[in-house]
Amino acid sequence: MIVELISIPAIILILGALVLPLLPERVRSAAFITFPLIALGILWNLPDGDLLQVSFASYELQLLSVDGLSRIFGIIFSLITIIGGIYAFHIKDIGQQSSALAYAGGALGVTFAGDYFTLFIFWELMAAASSYLIWARRTNESDKAGMRYLLVHILGGGLLFTGILLHLNAGGSLYLEQLMPDYTLANIFILLGVALNTAVPPLHAWLADAYPKATITGAVFMCALTTKSAVYVMIRLFPGWEVLIWVGVIMAIYGTIYALLANDIREILAYSIISQIGYMVTAIGIGSELALNGATAHAFNHIIYKSLLFMAAGAVIYSTGKSKLSELGGLSKKMPLVLGLYLVGALSISGAPFLNGFISKTMISGAMGDAHLEWPILLLLIATIGTFIHSGLKLPYFTWFRERTEDLELKAIPVNMKVAMGVGAFFCILFGVAPQLLYTQLPYPTDFQPFSVYNFVEMTQILVLAFVAFWFLKDHLNTSSTISSDTDWFYRKPATIVEKIFVTFPNNLFGKAEQVVYAIAGGVSSVSKNPLKILLPSFVAEGREVKSDGFSASIGAALSFILFGFIVALLVILL
Amino acid sequence: MKNWHWIILGLLLIVSLVLEFTYLADYDSHWWNSVPAFYALWGGLGAIVLIFGSKILGKIFILSNEDYYDR
Repeated sequence: MIVELISIPAIILILGALVLPLLPERVRSAAFITFPLIALGILWNLPDGDLLQVSFASYELQLLSVDGLSRIFGIIFSLITIIGGIYAFHIKDIGQQSSALAYAGGALGVTFAGDYFTLFIFWELMAAASSYLIWARRTNESDKAGMRYLLVHILGGGLLFTGILLHLNAGGSLYLEQLMPDYTLANIFILLGVALNTAVPPLHAWLADAYPKATITGAVFMCALTTKSAVYVMIRLFPGWEVLIWVGVIMAIYGTIYALLANDIREILAYSIISQIGYMVTAIGIGSELALNGATAHAFNHIIYKSLLFMAAGAVIYSTGKSKLSELGGLSKKMPLVLGLYLVGALSISGAPFLNGFISKTMISGAMGDAHLEWPILLLLIATIGTFIHSGLKLPYFTWFRERTEDLELKAIPVNMKVAMGVGAFFCILFGVAPQLLYTQLPYPTDFQPFSVYNFVEMTQILVLAFVAFWFLKDHLNTSSTISSDTDWFYRKPATIVEKIFVTFPNNLFGKAEQVVYAIAGGVSSVSKNPLKILLPSFVAEGREVKSDGFSASIGAALSFILFGFIVALLVILL
Repeated sequence: MKNWHWIILGLLLIVSLVLEFTYLADYDSHWWNSVPAFYALWGGLGAIVLIFGSKILGKIFILSNEDYYDR
């Protein structure tokens, strides 16, 4: 049994997280990369089917269910853990390293879970392990953001688990199968739980709140794993739920508007995740084979270019110590390599031809065209324009090109960070020029051809004109030191009032009560020392103070004897 | 932006327009395919709407000072 467990990719990473602290510090970073490499090797060779069952109570849990969909998500999660491991090679913080491995283990566990219970356990592991990647920044801000992140995910886990229990109670299958689009309470709870991790507004605010405050290396793992594992579950459970078509469109536009307004570079990228996931959610809502292939391919590509963007933004923060556009600028001559690699990711996310975003965005719009969803196509194009403006133009322009009067002091960027970005950029280009490498791995067979004249014309015209508009209107974009109010307002703003009512007030009340009790206890004990002082106060007679308790020893003994007599008499009467 | 940057962008746009009016002249899968240079118009107008739209929304209720939650 133990040997069989090791064939589960997730268990290898979790084992790695446990073994890592026992290894000497100098080999930990290399060991970190080894575990996802082994996991990748194993899952690459796994046959399709339900490969490992475990009995739990009266249930038969499926720990390792493999098919085309889970395999491709498993591949990209392992690959990004390796790239993230290279990026974080210089990190000596065992807490971060272990939690990142456990977190990736959770994502792989979700991917290969065949039943709801296994899914839920790995789902919660992801939430707990990833919280540490925020706290590891060790700032006051990240402490609070990490706690908010964890609480929101506990709510999400609760929603999911409620849904699972209702689903089982109503006679639903324990195994992960496509749910029919019926709005039963169970389905709604499961959908809400999954939607929270997919960052569907209004359940999305945790993402833009937490990711910009996570550690530089931690954010790379976070941007790749949580939302995309939820997209995987959504593809598995909710394909063809038509409500998702419009939910996705709203997500795409919503994320774009907030990204256009954001000032922190990683906040721009975080909102852009929400926007990009909108494409995937819309495709899941369509539910055709081409659409689900498109959602899968877009998740795959998104993980690569988004982590590249987060890595480049992280390099800027590492080097300058600053993360806000209002404080950055003038770096193009000082960081040409980071700029170049960033631009590869930026053009990929914008859907420029011959980069990987193009080959999956066109697939989704092809599926939308087949389904005659004309307005969603046009609205997603608006999101594409916005993506190009905020990630492809605003962020690089104000970070690298805008002139700055005073020079920023730069710290040298470790080579491993550059190598990891290089690997990311390589994959952006590789899948962009050779889409078949990805298409053959997709869950459904496809003969989709992204390189059509129509797609070229469409993307070229859109990107060129969006660029022109940006160039002349760029001063209208917000780069002031502001923050954006989002739906986290609803739990952050009342938090001070709630804290006053439930924490500060009871705390003060108990504090006062404690003081009063102490004062009473102090009084009683001082009185108890010598009650005669009160019963027989001292008095002054004939100009001389007579102390009431100042009896001679013989009188004292006589009084004690009388008192003793009283007590004995009392006891005799009572007994 | 140097001049040659604009020239490259101009050339890309011209090539795409030429392709649209020659190779794709009979292409018709969406209602907007009959609008000439639709994607260029959509790209430009979309960008303008997004930039000003987000600016207005930011002013109305989204943007606030950095110490908003600490007050």
